[in-house]
Amino acid sequence: MATIPLSAVDRFRDILGTDRVLEQHTERLLYGKDGSIAEGDCGLVLLCETTDEVSACMRAAHELGLPVVPRGSGTGLAGGAIPLDGSVVLSVARMRRVISVDPETPCAWVEPGVLNLDVTTGVRHLGLHYAPDPSSQAACSIGGNVATNAGGPHCLASGVTSQHILGMEIVLPDGEVLTVGGPAPDPPGYDLRGFIVGGEGTLGVVTKVCVRLMRDAPTVTTLLVDFPSVTSAGAAVRDVIAEGVIPAAMEMMDRTMVRAVEQFVHAGLPVDSAALLLVEVDGTPAQVADQAAAVERICRDSGAASVRTARDEAERALFWKARKNAFGAVARIAPNYYLHDCVVPRTRLVEVLENIAAIGERHGLIIMNVFHAGDGNLHPLIAFDRRDPVQVEKVFAAGKDIIEACVAVGGTLSGEHGIGLEKRDYMPLQFAPLDLDAQCRAREAFDPDGRLNPRKVLPAGAKCGELILDAGSLPEGTWL
Amino acid sequence: MSDEGHMIPPRGAPNWLPGVMAPAEEDVVSCVSCGLCLPHCPTFRVTGRETASPRGRIFAMRAVMEGRAEVDDEFATMMDECLACRACETACPSGVPFGRMVEAARAQVEARRPLPERTARRLGIGWVLARPWAIAAMGAGLALSQATRLERLLPARFSRTAPRVGLRQLLTRVPDELGEGPTACVLTGCVMDVASRDVQAATMRAVAGAGFRAVRGQARGCCGALAMHHGHPEAAKEMARQRIAEFEGADVVVANAAGCSNHMKTWGHLLADDPEWGARAAKVAARVRDLLELDLHPIPGERGAVAVHDACHHVNGQDMRGPLREVLRRAGARPVEIPDDGRCCGAAGLYSVLQPELSGELRTQKARAIAASGATVVACANPGCAIQIANGLREIGAPVRVVHPAEYS
Repeated sequence: MATIPLSAVDRFRDILGTDRVLEQHTERLLYGKDGSIAEGDCGLVLLCETTDEVSACMRAAHELGLPVVPRGSGTGLAGGAIPLDGSVVLSVARMRRVISVDPETPCAWVEPGVLNLDVTTGVRHLGLHYAPDPSSQAACSIGGNVATNAGGPHCLASGVTSQHILGMEIVLPDGEVLTVGGPAPDPPGYDLRGFIVGGEGTLGVVTKVCVRLMRDAPTVTTLLVDFPSVTSAGAAVRDVIAEGVIPAAMEMMDRTMVRAVEQFVHAGLPVDSAALLLVEVDGTPAQVADQAAAVERICRDSGAASVRTARDEAERALFWKARKNAFGAVARIAPNYYLHDCVVPRTRLVEVLENIAAIGERHGLIIMNVFHAGDGNLHPLIAFDRRDPVQVEKVFAAGKDIIEACVAVGGTLSGEHGIGLEKRDYMPLQFAPLDLDAQCRAREAFDPDGRLNPRKVLPAGAKCGELILDAGSLPEGTWL
Repeated sequence: MSDEGHMIPPRGAPNWLPGVMAPAEEDVVSCVSCGLCLPHCPTFRVTGRETASPRGRIFAMRAVMEGRAEVDDEFATMMDECLACRACETACPSGVPFGRMVEAARAQVEARRPLPERTARRLGIGWVLARPWAIAAMGAGLALSQATRLERLLPARFSRTAPRVGLRQLLTRVPDELGEGPTACVLTGCVMDVASRDVQAATMRAVAGAGFRAVRGQARGCCGALAMHHGHPEAAKEMARQRIAEFEGADVVVANAAGCSNHMKTWGHLLADDPEWGARAAKVAARVRDLLELDLHPIPGERGAVAVHDACHHVNGQDMRGPLREVLRRAGARPVEIPDDGRCCGAAGLYSVLQPELSGELRTQKARAIAASGATVVACANPGCAIQIANGLREIGAPVRVVHPAEYS
């Protein structure tokens, strides 16, 4: 493991005090990981509490020439928060104040360590909520959501994170503090928000976020539909959207996934069904009744075996608990999982799902599906045991096949988890060298030394023009 | 990636001390690091440190198991900081059995502590709690020091965490036998039999009221939960054997503390490898009931709003959220939820003494949340929590009384 010189450690201690600079062996091991399968090499951990502290730490790192990786809750699934080669990890997990709530606009300024669900919990009494709801919303931070441009089941109707971030305060790699946007709609000049959201910690450290809040819908209905085949469920998704109905959320889970998660939630899910669709519609009572009827009719036409409506709020919460705990329940099947995040056109959903099943069979692997069906954002999840090196090789080979299959039908690499480390070397499948170079230059405008979350997102060295084009497994310097 | 060697970290033989209980490999690998436990972990919520989170602690165990880290001071701090409240277990979609993992990791930590410290802990946890007269002597000492205000000479962290023991408490008589029906042997226990003898007496009435012939355990003696909780499995096994021998004739075995009932239900697992005691332990463990699991008939009255404090080892260990509320309703009280998502109060066995800072923070948070509930009484069925909460409420000057639900019988 790389170590940071003692003089540098002292410099950070002067800023944060002894307790908030972690430098022991096991402490650093823990910060070498996030929610993904890879493991990197952390040199030092900084636990910041204020913008001033972040700025002072970034200035110090700038002067010392140290690479820095920003970290929120560390629940990311693409290795975006994994430090390489002894980078300094800057955690914002202690920056968790809700600074102000404006119920009229409505919006709120929050610190980046505030958990996604805590934003909604804090404004529920005002009849408001923060719409993007990643499955990990109880644990993931707003800062991490901004970094990955996170999605979630309810982003089908209301849009992903970038559509809900009105403004940000961001500390640049040299410690300078910049504010972009704010509560007012459409700020003048270049709109940098769209660039910074999804920047995966390569542009700066976001220290304050102005989030858009939305009014709660007066009525919500949640349907649980049971299909005899993945194909028929896929067809139902396509037909619902084609008819012009946009549900608030439309999620699919296959049989293996349903069985794993039912052991945890005990929601009485139909464990023998081949595929489950979870469809939520909201709006005025009349709209909800119309939409729910349409969804039910289309599902039955596609061959749905049964349609169950959540009786009350408690049952609705239970359905969602099943969906949102799905990834975490995988250890009931195998100790590790490798998760993909491709998006495919809804019209090609059925053929891609069949293709993924075939890839699993070909490699002799269990591939489970739980995903945002409504927007074609797949989450094929390969369950495996990292202690078996033969299996690990197969997992990477199958992952590559899945990505290629998705890109081949006009899909994209990642819908919401980000590129991070795990999908980095697949970028050339999606982009020509010219495109990648342009992205690299934009990044350099913020971080000319390439010190911020280095070697993430773009398959390049520290500088533009040094593209490494080698897709298919974990990047060098990381472990499994 | 070109070089295979980069993909698998250098792995060696486990660094666990042989011959001492250690976390099982199958338990350790069952964590997928998703992080869904993080918001439920009280110490992570306070510190924001991965090293004070369930996921981090499990990964540290994994690193030791893979020969990449040592059971050293750093590892010890991480395990010591854990409350073992098991809120992470309830939140975990993969069912990772964190409670038994951290207990085993602590056994490793204890075995490596410097001898003077290890002896002191072993004496406190293993020796005193196994001896009725030693517990009685401690209780008398506490009561005397508090009555004479000599306790002012002791460190502040002691007076902030110790139970208040009135001399009258010590003299309260607890009936040895009460009621008719199948025999229910009632655990006498350790701390409660000193600090809350009125609750002990009330427990006998409650058990009798539930249709049993309540028989009080023969001698003061700990069930072993504290020893197990703090990394002394051998002491815990010895106490389990004593209690099992005592309870074998009973139809049911009743404990009025969440920590005790939860632990006693695991006696079979604890002594599974003991050829003489394994089967006997499993048989007695199957008859263990928490007091709140009985069909209690408290005396109904006009009791108003009562805040409900769930002991971690009721909700996380035994999935028992309902019974306490039901007993309160039967007693004529209106159960009120404490607005803090049921976070641990920071008592956690001896945690309040061993980790005064983190425990103090949680104690204050809990006391404030109880005060915010608006109730003037808070009910809780675990002695550790009761002591901690009473101390916390006194600290912030909130006029809220702590009751054990048995006291309504």
